[in-house]
Amino acid sequence: MIEALGLTKRYGADVAVDDLSFSVEAGRVTGFLGPNGAGKSTTMRMIIALDAPSAGTVTVGGRAYGSLRFPLHEVGALLDANAAHPGRRARNHLNWLADSNRIPRRRVDEVLGIVGLTDVAHRRAGELSLGMGQRLGIAAALLGDPAVLILDEPINGLDPEGILWVRHLLRSLAAEGRTVLVSSHLMTEMALTADHLIIIGRGRLLGSGRVADFIERSGGHHVKVVTPDADALSVLLRDEGAVVSVDEPGQLRVHGLEARDVGILAAGAGLTLYELSTERASLEDAFMELTDEHAEYRGSSALAEAGTP
Amino acid sequence: MTPVIGPPVVTTAAPPRRSTVFLAVVRSEWTKLRTVRSTMWALLITVVSTVGFGVLLTAIVVGQWDKRSIAEIRGFDPLLYSYAGLNVAQLCIGVLGVLVMTSEYGTRVIRLTFGATPQRRLVLGAKVLTFSLVVAVVSLVSCVTVFFICQANLAAKHAGVSIADPGVLRAVLGGAVHMVLVGAIAVGVGAIVRHTAGAVAILFGVLLIIPGLVQLLPAPWNDDITRYLPNSAGAAMSAIVRFPNLLAPFGGFLVLSAYALATLVVASTVLDRRDA
Repeated sequence: MIEALGLTKRYGADVAVDDLSFSVEAGRVTGFLGPNGAGKSTTMRMIIALDAPSAGTVTVGGRAYGSLRFPLHEVGALLDANAAHPGRRARNHLNWLADSNRIPRRRVDEVLGIVGLTDVAHRRAGELSLGMGQRLGIAAALLGDPAVLILDEPINGLDPEGILWVRHLLRSLAAEGRTVLVSSHLMTEMALTADHLIIIGRGRLLGSGRVADFIERSGGHHVKVVTPDADALSVLLRDEGAVVSVDEPGQLRVHGLEARDVGILAAGAGLTLYELSTERASLEDAFMELTDEHAEYRGSSALAEAGTP
Repeated sequence: MTPVIGPPVVTTAAPPRRSTVFLAVVRSEWTKLRTVRSTMWALLITVVSTVGFGVLLTAIVVGQWDKRSIAEIRGFDPLLYSYAGLNVAQLCIGVLGVLVMTSEYGTRVIRLTFGATPQRRLVLGAKVLTFSLVVAVVSLVSCVTVFFICQANLAAKHAGVSIADPGVLRAVLGGAVHMVLVGAIAVGVGAIVRHTAGAVAILFGVLLIIPGLVQLLPAPWNDDITRYLPNSAGAAMSAIVRFPNLLAPFGGFLVLSAYALATLVVASTVLDRRDA
């Protein structure tokens, strides 16, 4: 379990992580989601004591990471898949890590097998492809058979088969009772991998909860209507209390009424409908909605106040 | 394709001791050191330059021996030319020592290192110890080798010394200790500066440029200051004849050790305080 309390990181006047509190439970995959520059990586570096918080605390299994001896047995982290000496062979890269925490060398062979790098273990790290490098980083995280895994953007650079593999790996690690925290800026990927979400923007907590609840709560759904009688239908729907907006000429977006009600109203007024459907908000939409004013890198309108979480 | 890893093992054993952690990190650092090619190359160049320059310069001295005046012969240090190569060797060791730290920052491996061992002072200590042992072995082998070759050559002019003569064994060992301390300073500078180019520039500035500038000062300032520079303090350890600009051998050892200690104290302080 990972627990952050009031975690804050300032770089001069910039606040990268702002009074962040969350907990990551064992036995499920927790997605750590936010746009680029939201403070995900900084938070992860603070969890494993690479960066010191300006304020607040974060513990892993109830203890500060910095106080752990041989921490790889308890926490495995992939923060930067390219972090390897390009001239060192893949197996040696894992060997020195294993040595530092008294992990037996046979475990190096095991993790090489788990990530599918056995055949290229003799290659120098600089000669590995992006995807292989990512797998090497995951192997390093698994080395100490840790109960807690922290992975920063583990699917970066992976091909579709690799992405599927990581997804299965994370789910099976969580199923074994491990704590799995995985960051991403890709909502769709998180929707497929994570059970639980922690969403941040500009260093602040925007929300957390089950993935399913999150979609339901923040996005909801609307009814899409395509009709040649858009104006007439709009008047009719608004009279019934619906909120209607025009997506494009002849296409309406209706909030506050079910598709069934829209159909009955249209039939009663003798209006023609070409298309009538319920549109569920995608997780992506929900995410965009949540993080809209929190994205750091956007047009000039992003300068507007971030608002309260 | 789901891998079988098994549920996490909950450890209830007492936490390992600091000494256990340190030994593990030493082993890890040894693995790191011997699994990159730059180590072998730099050490090879160290041996070749120590032995090569020593043998070459001594051979030239022997060839010109008969042209020397009595005063020159009287002030001749039989080890001076034998160990001329140490001036080059210390640069190789210096670069390699800097790389022990900076290559990890350059490749961001440092985050893995400190992630695996949050006790950063132990990491620095293990790096210094491991590298020092390697440097000690390599420079001892090359110092002893160059000593015997050169003295055999000088013996023809009855100018050589025996390893059994007073102060000679100390001088031979002193050459190796000189290299070890330069290596330790280099690791410290690498840890403080974190960038290879910057750290090498500073190290070379201290070892090569500053001594030249100090020599431009009016006497006796030039010699008074030169004595306490790292280069001269190190050279004093392997000198047999006392030169006016060198400390006594043990004094040289103390001064160079003080430089190394100060550098490493600063390095361990900043390592603990800075974000990795």
